Amino acid sequence: MKLRANLAIGGGLTLLSLFVGVFGPWLAHTDPIMDANLMNAELPPSGEFWFGTDQQGRDIFSRVMYGAQISLTVGIGSQLINTAIGTTLGVTAGYWGGWWDDFVNGLTNLMLAIPSLIFALAIMAILGPGLTSLMIALGLTNWSYTCRISRAQALAIKSQGYVQAARVLGYGDMRIMFTQILPNTLGPIIVIATLGMGGSILAEAALSFLGLGVRPPSPSWGSMLSDARETITTAPWLSLFPGLAIFLTVLGLNLLGDGLRDVLDPQSRSRR
Amino acid sequence: MKRLALLSGIAIATAGLLAALAPAAEAQTPRRGGVVRMTAPYASSFGNLDPHRSGRSQDGQVHMTIHRTLYIWDSAKGAPALELATAATPSAGGTVWTFKLRDDAFFHNGRKMNADDVVWSFTRLMSPGEGFVGARWIRLVQGAVAVERGEAKEISGIKKLGEHEVEITFTQKVEPGFLFYNMTTSILPREEVEKPTWATAPVGLGPFKFKEHIPGSRLVAERFDRFYKPGLPYLDRVEFPIMAEASARDIAFRNREVDTSILGPVQYVAYNNDANLRKNILEVAEVFTRSMVMNHEVKPFDDKRVRQAINHAINTQIIVERLARNKAYRATSWLPITVPGYDKDMKPYEFNPAKARALLAEAGLPNGFEFEWTTSQNESWGLPIVEAVIPMLAQVGIRVKTKVVEVAVLTDIALKGEFQAYIGSSQTGPDPLQTLRCYHSSTPRTSCNVTQYKNADYDKMLDEAGTTDDPARKLELLKRANAHLFDAAPVWFFNYNKATLAFQPWVHGLQANPTELVHQYPEFIWVDASSPAK
Amino acid sequence: MLGFVIRRVLQMVPMLAAIALLIFVLFSVIPGSFATGQQDEGLGLDMAVVARMRAELGLDDPLHVRFGAYVKQLATLDLGVSFRSRQPVADMIAARLWPSLKLTIAAMGFAIVIGLPLGFVAALRPGSLVDLGLMVIAVSGLSLPKFWLGILLMYLFALTLGWFPSFGYGQGGLWHLTLPALALGVSPMALLARTTRAAVLDIMNADFVRTARSKGMNEYRVVVWHVLRNALVLVLTTIGLQFGSLLGQGVVVEKLFAWPGVGSLLVDSVFQRDIPAVQGCILVITMFFLVINTSVDIAYKLIDPRIRYT
Repeated sequence: MKLRANLAIGGGLTLLSLFVGVFGPWLAHTDPIMDANLMNAELPPSGEFWFGTDQQGRDIFSRVMYGAQISLTVGIGSQLINTAIGTTLGVTAGYWGGWWDDFVNGLTNLMLAIPSLIFALAIMAILGPGLTSLMIALGLTNWSYTCRISRAQALAIKSQGYVQAARVLGYGDMRIMFTQILPNTLGPIIVIATLGMGGSILAEAALSFLGLGVRPPSPSWGSMLSDARETITTAPWLSLFPGLAIFLTVLGLNLLGDGLRDVLDPQSRSRR
Repeated sequence: MKRLALLSGIAIATAGLLAALAPAAEAQTPRRGGVVRMTAPYASSFGNLDPHRSGRSQDGQVHMTIHRTLYIWDSAKGAPALELATAATPSAGGTVWTFKLRDDAFFHNGRKMNADDVVWSFTRLMSPGEGFVGARWIRLVQGAVAVERGEAKEISGIKKLGEHEVEITFTQKVEPGFLFYNMTTSILPREEVEKPTWATAPVGLGPFKFKEHIPGSRLVAERFDRFYKPGLPYLDRVEFPIMAEASARDIAFRNREVDTSILGPVQYVAYNNDANLRKNILEVAEVFTRSMVMNHEVKPFDDKRVRQAINHAINTQIIVERLARNKAYRATSWLPITVPGYDKDMKPYEFNPAKARALLAEAGLPNGFEFEWTTSQNESWGLPIVEAVIPMLAQVGIRVKTKVVEVAVLTDIALKGEFQAYIGSSQTGPDPLQTLRCYHSSTPRTSCNVTQYKNADYDKMLDEAGTTDDPARKLELLKRANAHLFDAAPVWFFNYNKATLAFQPWVHGLQANPTELVHQYPEFIWVDASSPAK
Repeated sequence: MLGFVIRRVLQMVPMLAAIALLIFVLFSVIPGSFATGQQDEGLGLDMAVVARMRAELGLDDPLHVRFGAYVKQLATLDLGVSFRSRQPVADMIAARLWPSLKLTIAAMGFAIVIGLPLGFVAALRPGSLVDLGLMVIAVSGLSLPKFWLGILLMYLFALTLGWFPSFGYGQGGLWHLTLPALALGVSPMALLARTTRAAVLDIMNADFVRTARSKGMNEYRVVVWHVLRNALVLVLTTIGLQFGSLLGQGVVVEKLFAWPGVGSLLVDSVFQRDIPAVQGCILVITMFFLVINTSVDIAYKLIDPRIRYT
């Protein structure tokens, strides 16, 4: 029996981030926006401020707690959009075939060819910085793998006996797609979405660095880290804690994704 | 007579400049040779090497190395000084000026500059459809606008009087130094501009000639031996490494890979806390005023009491101290410290939430109101400031919705008036009259009056200041106009920028230029033998 | 074979056309305009002049007219003229392409040299602590924001140790290239390690390896000969995809290290609304991706003629 350490560690870290994401507002001591007290700017970690304070004198611990919500919302939101687009296009393309399949295939290749960070940068420049724009930007740009895999699954399944039987029984296309095909594609898609969440959180940080991230009043980990990069030589705790939060969360998601792949999708480990 | 300063011959100007620069250079004799590596900090590339085309500060660094204008900015005197012109004589009440030009200025291609170059360069700036940014400084010349509109081929107000003499007629009384020190009015050689290589290999009159440009990485210029100022420049080479990322610039500077680095508020504090770095920081009160601009066409910003309430509600002092980290001077009114008309005895708005609440109640808003505040993400005049102000305004019942945009969009929004309030940085000098005209009711939104402030008394003061021949009266009027703005509070007066430039100990001759600190006339800079750069 | 190559190359054409259309549409609705961004504060521009400039640059024409002009331009392999520098966009990109390629190749080289052995060693003892340790290291590389990693690298290797310069292009040599290449190479390295591990595991369990083993072939030969070779074939796709997208991923690293590549030109152009330059950069970046992946497909065909593409 293999050691499922990656699953355990990854799952643990992910659960921890989710817990913080959900209960962050209760864990935080102070309000992350209104409690700016410039008299307390840039204090190192202490008993009162566990993670220290930032340039505006806000408690970094509280902001990291609140930030979890924003960062995870970006991660989960964008992956929901990706998965919805990817599976819808993929399953219908595989199932219906014909010109629709060709079209979806072309579109998928197109999305693969434009680096997603650059596409997201363009969309953010159009929509303007913000949480919703970010979810849309990252949600529109990363669905090609999901689409490919669900299409392949749909192709493989549609010729199988039970799907044929369902059709003979007069089940509609939609019903067949939803009840017969979709459940079978779930495993690999969950894996992709898990790994993709990590990717979205990192992309949020990159866009913040480029000046187009989520913007306050909501603190996101990415924007906190980006704002703190100038103090790395003088007040390293400003960047350390949001950086660690991103690192541990994404690490957890990546390990969890790898572990889930071993469990849910054993025959296709090398597909990506 | 204010023309006295401008009339001084070039020899005097040069000597004066050198003497004025001496304090920065200490008591050592300037050393010839060596290299200075001055970072270009504002963008990850130079946008355009044609000085007529780009008014961006970053491009200006290169322009003043390679090109020259009729005047330069004398930082020591705080006034424009003659440069390519050796004398400027006004007549007709200050509307007609005769310029004598240098007869010893050579372009880098070896040709001598003459009056035709001035005429051609100014005419080029007004080319219709080209949208040269330098055009704004020529527009006051008679007949310039007709050329810009395509109605004439030649500017009727510019006349060549001799090989090295031109006469320029303006539409109103002006001080030409304030117009023609701008690098966007550089005198260019026509034969080079018309070559296809112009965009990539500029040729000018400046102390250094273009050598190499690796777009996105650096630009190098080397000494021009026929430069007209005797003994100058000192350096063999000037390099501009492009470094837009402040965190990376900090590391590179500490690692002695670059010689100058502009400091943001965060680094300003860090450098001041370091016993070694602290010694080599050049500080200057720049002519930029940071403010929250309110749109007076939007209620309730049309009410003076509301605008005053905002000024009272914000603890500006603590933001300047803690967030701008004293890398700024608290603003009292619109004119900044180094500009004539600034009143050092004026007290800024007092932080007084109770008074703010009372003013709001008086204006019929006892429960405050809500507005949308547009901001960029700039660290000194953008989002971090807004974030700090939000809780303060909340104290008096004013609720803020923030709208974050890119700087490129902010400008668009400002010019179109599509905002309730936005925070920004405005150039407020060096010419006080032009700066105060920003709130003249005849000034359109697109040329500065973004608030759409309109007041007849204020207009009268400025009109008189523009025409009076009595310098004392003019100064008095400027002061009064500035005090009027304080009371009218068309904006939230936040701060005047303190620009800070860290430099390595071996660099000498840097100029404390209040119009933009990275703008250094490089012929005065020298490095001593301890410079590690070869 | 030649027919296949020609077909694959021709398939890139409609793809590029579609990308051209997409970025045209995206950037015709972007807020903010170049004309107002030329002056730092943007003020003091005569709106009449701005209007004439917009007309001159063709920004006021109806969308279909602009698209027509754009397509005509592209059809003659012309990327247009930059609003900002008034230089042909093709020239601007050409100056940036070699530094970008150098960075991409160096990063990919690092990813291959470290990532492949890492994944391979991990797969030899699946489930062991060595496996877990190596994978956690690899995945850690995938979990750090690139700009943070870059700053940490600068801090450590330039400022503290003084081994490398912290920024810039220098004379284009390896000395300046190392840190940015490291920062860019860490995430493909991690992906590669992970894919290699999975591929090796798949093949170890494949029938032909079992057969070889049961025939008494020595373990070393099994591993090197069968497993490694076959795994490399599987990993090639990942290398292709990563390499192809690295030019675009370089945006952050190029900006941080002041590396004069296409990515930094792109970001600068987006912020200054120099639309022709933006479009040109994206086209070149996607074309690079398509070329690399088409080459990988062709390489596959050479390695394994049984592969059929529809």
